[in-house]
Amino acid sequence: MSQNKSLEKGTRGKGADHRLRVYSDITQLIASPDNPTPLVRLNRINPSDDFLIYLKLERYNPFGSVKDRIVYQMLKELEIGERTVVEPSSGNTGIALACVANALGIPVEVAVPEGIPNEKKVMLRLLGTKIWEVEDALCPRFPSEGARGLVNALIKSPATRNRYISPNQYENELNVLAHYRTTGPEIWRQTRGRVSHFFAGFGTCGTISGVGRYLKEQNPHIKIIGVEPSSPDHKLPGMKRITGLGDEYVPTILDRAVIDDIVEITDEDAYRTAFELARKDGIPVGPTTGAILHVALKYTASDTGLAVVISPDDAFKYASFYQDFVEAEAQKGQGGNK
Amino acid sequence: MRTYDLCDLVCPLSKMKATEVIDSLNEGETIKIVLGDTDSLKSVAQELRSRGIKPGFEQESESKFVLTLTR
Repeated sequence: MSQNKSLEKGTRGKGADHRLRVYSDITQLIASPDNPTPLVRLNRINPSDDFLIYLKLERYNPFGSVKDRIVYQMLKELEIGERTVVEPSSGNTGIALACVANALGIPVEVAVPEGIPNEKKVMLRLLGTKIWEVEDALCPRFPSEGARGLVNALIKSPATRNRYISPNQYENELNVLAHYRTTGPEIWRQTRGRVSHFFAGFGTCGTISGVGRYLKEQNPHIKIIGVEPSSPDHKLPGMKRITGLGDEYVPTILDRAVIDDIVEITDEDAYRTAFELARKDGIPVGPTTGAILHVALKYTASDTGLAVVISPDDAFKYASFYQDFVEAEAQKGQGGNK
Repeated sequence: MRTYDLCDLVCPLSKMKATEVIDSLNEGETIKIVLGDTDSLKSVAQELRSRGIKPGFEQESESKFVLTLTR
């Protein structure tokens, strides 16, 4: 059975009864304007009434992250045939890919950087996915992204190229289109057009480009703010420092025209904000959400309006990353609700 | 002397395969590794340097590089 026939059987969104929440397959749960991920106002970490901040909780996608949206969109269009799907991922794309592919009977392999949280590796193995664990400095052509380099090699090497196909989320316009068609319209509808700021991190750049493009088309005054790590060597899985990066390493799908501002964030600030959010508003998030939210909170001093902060995933995949911070706090006699 | 032709592997697959081959060598064994692009050559040479192995080098053509090495 071809992959496209399998997807036709899935018919995500069509005929799905979101009111009763009864579905013919798991992919029907992937967010769409008819079935949006929640938008939740932050009340305690941000007491400002002039600059409201809402988190867009992408963890409510069926496989736990924002990547569910793009994986389905990309797999739907890919001519896979008898080949194995392979993709570099810091975890979330890999998990989404494994789940969607399993649901459709497609073989999948994932190249992951050595440093990703153990929880994500365990999850990929649980899903039966072959993992290529790759050191970042593996190849001079991709000096800090060995996983991308490896997938590039599998696709281009004469010995392997007939066996593999990659959705290539860094260059695939469907990554942007998924957000243009779903995340952007959801935010516009959920805020009743009142959104004034949108904050997202740079990774593959699909979210910021797709949502940014959609929102700018609705209202060109909406500010689109991108967040990047302050150093290329960071502990914010899925995020990428764009500034200073050679053109050949910047994702080709990045639409710089929709971005109004780029702000840097340190690991320390990102993790501290993620902890603070969990303790003040009761929302456990991944460190990337902490990074993006930290930047949004800075805007309360200067701007007014309604901000939407993308929250790519939750805290549970990062227990091993958070452990060091929790232990450091305990040693200092800090922690707990403030 | 055994020859490992890795010309049909692009970097970093070539480096990964070369590393596997080097790991499997017996002490004192000599082999040839043939690589098909300069990135592969650089990364395999770097791997050999990090292990303290000095290979012999020969460029047979624009896209054929031969390393001779002894573990």
